[in-house]
Amino acid sequence: MKKLLSLILALCMVLGMTAIASAEEALPTFDQIVLGENTDLTAKIHFAYHRTDIPEKLNGYVEEFRKTYPNIEIEYELITDYAENALLRVGNTDWTIMGIPTVQKDELSKYFVPLGSLETLDKLYNFMSTQSYEGTCYGIPSTGNANGVLYNKRIFAEAGVTELPKTPDEFIAALKAVKEKTDAIPLYTNYAAGWTMGAWDAYIGVAATGKTEYMNQILPHAKDPFADQGNGTGPYAVYKILYDAAAEGLIEEDYTTTDWEGCKPMLNNGEIATMVLGSWAFTQMRDAEGGQHPEDVGYMAFPVSIDGKQYAPAGGDYNFGINVQATREEKLASMYYLKWLTHESGFAYSEGGVPIDKNGEYPDLYAAFDGIEMLSDADALPGEETLMSELNSESELNFNNGGNTKVQEIVEHGFKKDKSFEDIMADWNAAWTEAQESLNVEVK
Amino acid sequence: MSVIASRVQPDLRRKRINWQKVLVITLFAAVPLFLLILFTYIPFAKMIQFSFYNMSYTKNKGYVGLDNYLKVFTKEEYVGAMLLSLYYMAGAVVQLALALFFASILSLERIRGAGIYKAVLFFPFLVNGIAIGYIFKYFYTRGFVLDSVLQAIGIPLDALPYWLRDQSVNNWSLVFTSVWKYCGQNMVLFIGAIASIDPTLYEAATIDGANRWQQFKAIILPGIKTVFMLNLILSITGSLSAFEPAYVVGSMGANGTATFFIKIHQMAHVSQKVGQACAMAMVLMALILLFTVLQRLFFRYVMKDSENTFNAKANKAKALW
Repeated sequence: MKKLLSLILALCMVLGMTAIASAEEALPTFDQIVLGENTDLTAKIHFAYHRTDIPEKLNGYVEEFRKTYPNIEIEYELITDYAENALLRVGNTDWTIMGIPTVQKDELSKYFVPLGSLETLDKLYNFMSTQSYEGTCYGIPSTGNANGVLYNKRIFAEAGVTELPKTPDEFIAALKAVKEKTDAIPLYTNYAAGWTMGAWDAYIGVAATGKTEYMNQILPHAKDPFADQGNGTGPYAVYKILYDAAAEGLIEEDYTTTDWEGCKPMLNNGEIATMVLGSWAFTQMRDAEGGQHPEDVGYMAFPVSIDGKQYAPAGGDYNFGINVQATREEKLASMYYLKWLTHESGFAYSEGGVPIDKNGEYPDLYAAFDGIEMLSDADALPGEETLMSELNSESELNFNNGGNTKVQEIVEHGFKKDKSFEDIMADWNAAWTEAQESLNVEVK
Repeated sequence: MSVIASRVQPDLRRKRINWQKVLVITLFAAVPLFLLILFTYIPFAKMIQFSFYNMSYTKNKGYVGLDNYLKVFTKEEYVGAMLLSLYYMAGAVVQLALALFFASILSLERIRGAGIYKAVLFFPFLVNGIAIGYIFKYFYTRGFVLDSVLQAIGIPLDALPYWLRDQSVNNWSLVFTSVWKYCGQNMVLFIGAIASIDPTLYEAATIDGANRWQQFKAIILPGIKTVFMLNLILSITGSLSAFEPAYVVGSMGANGTATFFIKIHQMAHVSQKVGQACAMAMVLMALILLFTVLQRLFFRYVMKDSENTFNAKANKAKALW
């Protein structure tokens, strides 16, 4: 018995020591990774990702990558309903790389391998601050998105809209012209899918105010941020477009039975005039199965102007993070693959995204973005990294964080006209104020 | 052999058998008990604990006493969500009536291909919930399945509501999907119960000149009341915790179809207010318990004799499922 005990004890100590030893051998940072080195790395990578629509493309990347790194095996697991599933699995060991779900910033280090300091990586890549905490990056974006509005060029021309609308009033006027002069649905809300409605939250920061600090620094401290600013800017102006469109009958007739996959060829074929979605949706609409006119799909900036100037919010798509519980080989191999995806795969360009590599090329869809400034949200102030997510949770409004219901309600009330837009915004203000009070947030 | 032995020397054997019994019972019970405690009672105790805290998945912001519970009863949207259960309860009554109707017809009458009818009616129960979501989205879409059928029998499209958009009908549309799915299941339970009635009773009744309705009232209904009770309790508690139709057909509870269960889901997974969600879940459980007790009291009063056999049969039927 004693022998057994001592054996176990010895085993524990050996294991403990190896654990310490491997932890001490630090991983290189993301910028230190050079493709073409370490080609004998052997590891198995399990890659959890949300792009269920492009398995062939992703497997093609794996094949391409394995020409240089033949001993690294990569297996993609593509998950529908990704945001929720990933959140449940983030602490597990059954994945090596995953698209980082909405975990709180101070918990990033609990799940993900640090990729390097923000200071260094920010000079080389776009949107690095999104998944960083206290100056350390934990994820690298797959591609960048600029947020604007999808529209059908032919329908706009037929409706006599020659100049792209720049303000909410011009936009509603354009939608009315579409309704009068064409058979297209002026604004397709994609109400039923839910997240497509939450997509409207993306415009309340940079696009509605022109300020990079708005989303993470001003909004948490703002008093009644959803009140009418009187000049067609601010969050009020953004959601007002949706309310007015619903109230004036400028949206699809039976919005409760919309079909996300079905809407793609409809925009392409001119049955839909506009849709408010990020630029990532552009390629999906253009290349939609059953679409006859890919050349008609256009992309424009969100119709809010601040002192005559338009701004487009830009940011990284899902960031890739590496599991902190993986072995050293797996972590290193994952680094090489992510580096390859960022520099060699051409993923961002082919997806119509803003390049992650600062030397990367912009695709043509941003042709209409001439003179429009692309800005990404500034980070929260030090010590307030989790404030926005806490306010989101407390107020139950959940901006940019799955708060789809509140936007769907705008459509419902607009359509039924049973609650004025002012009342809805007043409710939001009340919820926001209450959340600020319960979290003792200083209101400026 | 041991049986005979124990009869011969009762005192000597009993001790040893008891000891063995205890060992066997302990060993066999240990595994399921362990699993039950680990996966049911510990999480349940945690849920009770969480319901008194303001907490997310990862952060505990402190004890708040009964605040979470108070919010459940004072916030209009939660009370409204609870009232949605009334739609599903009404649906449950229709569902049971239909199921009983089909079960009696298929058992009493000699219908050619009765097996096929049973299978057809039972089939919806086997369809996956997500598939039902797709089926009924298209079923209710303007100008699609339901509308074309109604147009074919002469109702103009303009006279028809938008089945999911109009809030005056959309909850009924969702209740219908639920009835469609569970009616067959209820029916099969009823058929099973009816089959256990002695067929000579019908013969005797026929000789006495009883018609079908009288047979149903005097023979079938008393014969199946325990299973009827079980079905009723399952349906009513199911209505209180309705989730699937509103989630998969009603776009995750959009447009005024969010049941209390969906509100809990949103609270826990979107807003990540775990404490609040736990309190809501506790209230839901209390409601279900209350309704179950009320129903049992009611039926104890209405049909006294069935009570004794109720538990045994209910358990049997549950085990079957």
